[in-house]
Amino acid sequence: MIADEPTMARLMIASQKGDKQAYTVLLTEVQLWLERYYRRRCAPAMLDDLVQDVLLAVHNKRASWDPVRPFLPWLAAIARYRWVDHLRKVYRNAEDALEDYDAPEDSEEEAVMARLSLERMFVQIPDKQSEAIGLVKIEGLSIAEAAERSGQSQSAVKVNIHRGLKKLAALVEKAE
Amino acid sequence: MNPERNRRANSLIERLSDDLEPVRAIRTRDGIALVALAVVVTILLVEFTEGLWLAGLTGSASPFFYLGNGLLLVLGAAAAIGVLAMASPRVGNRHEGPKWAMAMAAVLPLAALVTLFSQPGGIAAYHDPYGMHCLTAAVLSSVLVAGALVTWLRRGAPVSVNTAGLLVGVASTALGSAAYGLSCPLDGMLHIGFWHAAPVAIGALVGRFALPPLLRW
Repeated sequence: MIADEPTMARLMIASQKGDKQAYTVLLTEVQLWLERYYRRRCAPAMLDDLVQDVLLAVHNKRASWDPVRPFLPWLAAIARYRWVDHLRKVYRNAEDALEDYDAPEDSEEEAVMARLSLERMFVQIPDKQSEAIGLVKIEGLSIAEAAERSGQSQSAVKVNIHRGLKKLAALVEKAE
Repeated sequence: MNPERNRRANSLIERLSDDLEPVRAIRTRDGIALVALAVVVTILLVEFTEGLWLAGLTGSASPFFYLGNGLLLVLGAAAAIGVLAMASPRVGNRHEGPKWAMAMAAVLPLAALVTLFSQPGGIAAYHDPYGMHCLTAAVLSSVLVAGALVTWLRRGAPVSVNTAGLLVGVASTALGSAAYGLSCPLDGMLHIGFWHAAPVAIGALVGRFALPPLLRW
């Protein structure tokens, strides 16, 4: 079970003060949290690199968390920022299959997760843009294959990826 | 997680934990103090180079002097606080305040435009030989505040870098123009509405398109 918000916040406060033991526990919990967070929206082969990239970002930017604010929305903002960067840069290997998505349970923790989730970002961009990004950047299809699968022209797929990523970058801090 | 991935992750976590040093968490109030200091130093530099306009400071200027510089000051403060908050990101942050402040301050050039069209001769008859000097001086007066805000953001973790760049441009030029405005004895609606507001539009464009590469991390 992954640590809850108060536990992570407490560990982060200790980490900002230089407590290495608390920091090790925190990073381990953050790693588990990130693996679950990215599960559906990242190719499994890239998950490892993305999680490590965010762990490094958490380390380098740990001073940017204000202890009077909740920890998980801060972590989610960094995770989203790195994810959009990742979508821009990385193509998934064609043989990797997406893992099944476990529907969130109806609990307070899951409600918080849903609010912070990557899905919330995808539903705020037009369907054609999320489809083009999903096919090319997450499933790893070529532009031509994505065009054939989606029924969009190749130019439209390129334009929709470009515009979609731009919109996603602007949605990193949006909660609704 | 397979054993190889587990080993890599554990190794990274061990390395990061070994590197851990205490850090001072970012606090917005420290940023406000930094920006306030930059504004005060800018005003001192304006006094040293141009000299503050005493009539304006003692209440003898036209209402446009106070209205115009006041709007720029409020816009600059709203945008600067927005920038400071962006250094500490979180899902759920909203950056609506500076947008409304920009809409409010846009009244200034719009009122100047309406005034201009209602005058005999319209645009053709308008000539302001001091306008370009004020525009240049106001832009130069924004450098310190811009530097303070960029430094603050680079220490933090802005995740909306385009908006952050835009707001740095708006905040610095609005505060810079308000600071320089304390030295300008031309207190008419047209002069303040055009030449003291124009630096903000320039700052917004420069900030939106030139600053994001400096703010990405």
